[in-house]
Amino acid sequence: MMDETTLHEQIEKLRADSGAGAASVHVHDYESERTFAHGSDRWFHAASTMKVAVLLALFHAAQTGRLRLEDRLHVRNRFRSIVDQSIYRVQRDRDADAAVHRRIGRSMKLVELAEPMITRSSNLATNLLLEYLTPAWVQSTLASAGIEGARVVRGVEDTVAFDRGLNNTITAAGLVDIFRLVREDRLLPEVARRQAFEILAAQEFNSMIPSLLPDGAQVAHKTGEISTCTHDAGLVLLPGRRPYVVAILTEHPPGLENTQKTVARISRLVYEFITA
Amino acid sequence: MKIVDGLTLSAEHRALLKPGEMLALAGPEIHQLPRFFYEIESWQHAKETQLTAHFTLSELITVDCREADLLLHRFPHYVPCAVTVLARYLEDFRERVDAPVCVAVNGGYRSPAHRLSGRPSPHLWATAANIYRIGDTWLDSQKAIERYARIAESLGPDVYVRPYGPEPGETDDHLHFDLGYLLCTRRGYSEAQ
Repeated sequence: MMDETTLHEQIEKLRADSGAGAASVHVHDYESERTFAHGSDRWFHAASTMKVAVLLALFHAAQTGRLRLEDRLHVRNRFRSIVDQSIYRVQRDRDADAAVHRRIGRSMKLVELAEPMITRSSNLATNLLLEYLTPAWVQSTLASAGIEGARVVRGVEDTVAFDRGLNNTITAAGLVDIFRLVREDRLLPEVARRQAFEILAAQEFNSMIPSLLPDGAQVAHKTGEISTCTHDAGLVLLPGRRPYVVAILTEHPPGLENTQKTVARISRLVYEFITA
Repeated sequence: MKIVDGLTLSAEHRALLKPGEMLALAGPEIHQLPRFFYEIESWQHAKETQLTAHFTLSELITVDCREADLLLHRFPHYVPCAVTVLARYLEDFRERVDAPVCVAVNGGYRSPAHRLSGRPSPHLWATAANIYRIGDTWLDSQKAIERYARIAESLGPDVYVRPYGPEPGETDDHLHFDLGYLLCTRRGYSEAQ
């Protein structure tokens, strides 16, 4: 039977065996109202996990009347660095989603951009939404919900900012707090939370948190990967019990293999702990 | 298409469209904004209004959510009468390039209240078009933009294209094609205040 001490030990063993430099895990279980924290206040490069904050800020903006989700936005691949206002573009061959690139010159509904931003981690969709909403709006949305473990300052592929060390950053605890907003009545009404959940549950990249869970598990989640980080976080729904929220963040040397498997194994450990 | 004098529109519309008002551009130029508009009853109306053989009105007035709420969500819409002149020149351009000419969203007419209108340009006169694709060619490189810029300029001195580049007044992901600050007053409409 997995207890809290064992879970800490096993996460640490998995981390060491994998070659990762750091692994943070945060869990909140709605069934037992227990929280588990393993280095969960450590800051990481957020990679694509920041897109969940953009998603919630979009729904929050709709809720406050700032925009309508059905409104259309011009799809244009041209953004300005937060450092010097220089132009940068999202590289099509580095973007996991090509569908939004095919719409360049035309427009898409805001909600139509939100879907590929999450389900296929579209960098172009993310930058379009973030440019329209502004990082300040996303940050103020997080602040209004009392979330301190996430900092959204720039779009994806702003390499000038990256070179200056200006990155979107996150903690495992912060990411769990963000996912809790999808379930709890603290920021968004039921209809918006349901819509956000459905987008997250349609995630197409399922090689981490869900991969070693039983077939009956439903996971509404968002992955995030750069050369030195591999993350996944989300809501895990199991039959016959309330869900739990988990965030697994790892940092490792560039080129390290099997980083997704490490996250998947940690997810399995968390599952065994939760259901013990 | 029905023509309306902008000065007779509702106060809300006048505040956004600024019909006949003088507008200072960057530098010493001051220009008068359009006063006479075509009234567009519905989006269907815009789609069905064929200005030339290859351009519908809808292609030249499509904007996104950066447009003022009233002008985006509620009909009728109002478009400066010079839009038909723009369509005529675009048709000539299409004939020269012998391929479909695609105008970007926000790349035709946009109102003075549009969030991209902070730097005034002939888009507010309905006399400019941002062309992002011609046939299968995406206009996102210096080579492609300059190639088609030379063809556009060959239409005559009325046509201005912005040079390639990332700075204000330049373009690097479309061809900016404009006819300047052209005002259009149809017969039977007086410019008296």
